Amino acid sequence: MNLDLLTVALLAGAANWAFRALPILARTDRLATVGWLERFLSATGPAAIATLFVAAVLPSLSLDLPRLLPLAAGTLAVLALWVLRRSVVLATLGGAVAHGLTVWLLG
Amino acid sequence: MNLAPGRSSGAKCFTARMQAAIRTGAALTPAPRRASRARMTRTRPPLLDGLIASLPIAMGYFPIAFSFGVAATQAGFTGLEAFALSLLIYAGASQFLALALLSSGAPVLVSAFTLIAMNLRHVLYGPALMREAGAGQSKRHAWAWAWGLTDEVFGQALGALARGQRFSEGYMFGLGLSAYASWLSGTLVGAVAGGGALEGWPAVSAGLGFMLPALFLALLLSILSRRQLPVVAVAGAVTVAVTLAISATSGILLGMLAGAVAGLVRR
Repeated sequence: MNLDLLTVALLAGAANWAFRALPILARTDRLATVGWLERFLSATGPAAIATLFVAAVLPSLSLDLPRLLPLAAGTLAVLALWVLRRSVVLATLGGAVAHGLTVWLLG
Repeated sequence: MNLAPGRSSGAKCFTARMQAAIRTGAALTPAPRRASRARMTRTRPPLLDGLIASLPIAMGYFPIAFSFGVAATQAGFTGLEAFALSLLIYAGASQFLALALLSSGAPVLVSAFTLIAMNLRHVLYGPALMREAGAGQSKRHAWAWAWGLTDEVFGQALGALARGQRFSEGYMFGLGLSAYASWLSGTLVGAVAGGGALEGWPAVSAGLGFMLPALFLALLLSILSRRQLPVVAVAGAVTVAVTLAISATSGILLGMLAGAVAGLVRR
């Protein structure tokens, strides 16, 4: 085992655990009763998910149809299934299937 | 965050309890903050609920972890080292960057701090999640389940709370365990199988690759409310602008912060 790799992995992993766990263990929910902080935290979830979606699709946004069509088909399938069934799991799986099928049809 | 149904039911419940207390002269005990959630009955154990809900995450993680395993072995690392990175870091983009940094001979501390900076956004997830969970929720085992609080697990948990599900540590364990297992197994299979495994199946590979964007979109739809539309618009616009101007990592961090700051504006 590469010692440098292990050191980097342990340091980065420890920081990841601290970022994820310590704010919960530190009882920050009491702080959340402060008005501005409550609004900030309330907006964090939608902001994070919107950011991650944009970051995930951004590399596929181009005028190149073989890249754009599967993205459009997958996105439309997610929207349609969400409107029809209101199920996150179904919409996600349906979007992935539509995306894969479009890639297959385009050859 | 669209929590209107939960709050309005809670308010109705409180009003009904107050009216009953006035009628009967009985003492009024405080109603739990999330009364509507507390009334929800479960048909399955929370752990199983979490495992089922994490299915799209697990299916999306596997091919990405597989790619990571392949990339690690192609960069000259052993299968065991690739597995160790997934086991100890458990953050996709950081791990790919770790491969680039370590194989280029970057100093250990520089590499570590670069990876740490990439995941700074996770600091916001715990407080945001517990705020939505409501006061008084058990966090006894948070030291363990919080390890699995990745972007996707956070999004899924937040979506479930917004849809009226009650917070449960068992559910969080279920979400996290399945995703982590998928990440580890994908890395291992990728490291062992090598690069050619999905080359003959481009449609399957593409479909699996779209799983996480599809999940983010579905989660966004599930928690979207009119009040949060400006937050989503600002987050999206800043992500695009900063990604194009600087880098994808900066785009994610600044987009998220800009959206959260937009939430401070009173409407």
